[in-house]
Amino acid sequence: MTERQQEYERLIAPIEDRMMRTVWRILRDPDDADDAFQEALLTVWKRWDRIVAHPNPHALLLQICIHSAHDVLRRRLRHGRRLDAVAVPENIPDQAASAIQTISGAEQDAAVLRAIGNLPKNQARAILLHTVEEVPYHAIAAAMNCREATVRKHVARARTKLRVLLSHLIPAVPKEERTHA
Amino acid sequence: MHDDVDELIRRRTQVEIPAVVEDRLRGRLMDFRARVEQRPPSRLRSFVYSVLAPPVLRPAAMAVIALAIVAVGLILIPPQSRVSQVYAAAAAELKSARSLQYTVVLNSDPYVGVDFSYLAPGYRRLETSWGIEVRTDGATGKQIVLMHGIHAYLNETGKTVENQGNIDDFSAQLRTLPDKADETLGEQWTGQRKLIGYRLHEAPPNGSIPGLKNLDIWIDSATREADHVDITVQENGKPEHQMHIQNIRVGAGVDRSLFDLTPPSGYSAFVVPGAKSSTNPATGIEVSAAIGQTAEMTAVVMPMSGSYAQAATALGAVSDSLQKQGVTPTGPPLGRFWSEQHWQAGYPVPPGTQAEAPFEVVTLPAGPNASAVVNGVWGRDTEARWGAFLKSVVEQGCVPVGPAIEIWSGEDGKPETQSTEMRIPVAKAK
Repeated sequence: MTERQQEYERLIAPIEDRMMRTVWRILRDPDDADDAFQEALLTVWKRWDRIVAHPNPHALLLQICIHSAHDVLRRRLRHGRRLDAVAVPENIPDQAASAIQTISGAEQDAAVLRAIGNLPKNQARAILLHTVEEVPYHAIAAAMNCREATVRKHVARARTKLRVLLSHLIPAVPKEERTHA
Repeated sequence: MHDDVDELIRRRTQVEIPAVVEDRLRGRLMDFRARVEQRPPSRLRSFVYSVLAPPVLRPAAMAVIALAIVAVGLILIPPQSRVSQVYAAAAAELKSARSLQYTVVLNSDPYVGVDFSYLAPGYRRLETSWGIEVRTDGATGKQIVLMHGIHAYLNETGKTVENQGNIDDFSAQLRTLPDKADETLGEQWTGQRKLIGYRLHEAPPNGSIPGLKNLDIWIDSATREADHVDITVQENGKPEHQMHIQNIRVGAGVDRSLFDLTPPSGYSAFVVPGAKSSTNPATGIEVSAAIGQTAEMTAVVMPMSGSYAQAATALGAVSDSLQKQGVTPTGPPLGRFWSEQHWQAGYPVPPGTQAEAPFEVVTLPAGPNASAVVNGVWGRDTEARWGAFLKSVVEQGCVPVGPAIEIWSGEDGKPETQSTEMRIPVAKAK
């Protein structure tokens, strides 16, 4: 096995599925996911030597995937494309209760993605890595090339914004806070 | 306190990736893996990044490394060798590229270019100025021309010229660049990208664009990937003109959905030697094979792989080589086909003829062969004809035991004089 093959086996192979899933979770559109994934791989290609020497390469790779997907998501929002259309399934079973649940779930998915798309880049990256990918703070700090305290700050700010943006989906949010949205 | 938000995000993002999308992304990963594995190791950069990793050492390490790089760059490495490495890396990448995509642009003087506006249903128009865009999949040898009407779009002093040959030549030309350029043309900036230019004066042997005078290839100094190629052509008795190959993308994923593998109405796919797929037997075309003995034949051939459209180029190269040796072919040109990755094209020659690489002397052994002659242009019914031919062989109680052979007679441009002999070594079926 060549050195490059060994590097690939060590860095990418163990998290191939995770990389693909990360992009899909944020975009839910085949073409957008494809675009974002290609952009992510291009970035990985350009920074290959840096990734090889990185203390936490897997976190860095996930961070790159999230960054690319978030970029595409923001672009999509800027161009005014509806997220609801891609999130609502085409074939809904003909059973009233579950159909309503399915639509409601799809709308909630779209609302969450829209809210994430409206977050600043660093906040979105930090909260997605921490909450969705469950990467520890110190590893996120290494991936984002900043201090752990900074990551915590990004996550806290992202939570605050999301709580406001998604207040209609979180019944526990006090009324005063909702009115500030 | 913040569990509610985290829980909501987690719940709403826990979706499974659909199999279709996963296949698509996995394809990207496979291409990426192939590229990574071909990438030459860069120990220096790895070392630099490993030194830079601990933040405490960063400023000092950066200063030391910067000084070292400047010293090595300015004093130890001759500038010429760095420049030639950029070219060599790009040429090697083009040679081994799994796929090549590019746009061909032809100048308007003395040729008249036509802007194609027709777009076949299901095809996406990509970045095309005017001319044509060709996508080539080097692994399977498939080519796709996105613009409709690749024939007869050039007009040279009132005479219509078919350009199919040139399309194939571009691909072959890019894949057969020599290891060293003849000349360096200096630098050119495109936005933030620095391009270095190289000039080749002679056409590589396998990619002969007729009348090629200069081939200037511009390479991105950072990525070492070819950016564009300017080709100057001057054929005998004709004015000089230029062609440009732009938007070169090496190893980019080929969108399989652009390929329609369903045969058109009236056609069906056949098992041919070396082919991967098998479908129904022939329905419309009949070829009757005659079983007989053939004498031993010596030939000088060029070993080939990839698209069969390169056959004309290969035959041209063999012919030129024989001419230089003063050897006259003893018959019309022929091709032997094991698979699209392994085939030969050449000429029969007198026994005892010598050949130097890349050409080879081969002997087609005497023995039982099935044979049939098809008159007229040898065109798109090739697979159907071979299917019917092999069916006829099997019906006569024989089985193929060697590569398919095609012997092409007649004059170029005169369909009425053309004929093709299909031949294959056979044995009695047990």
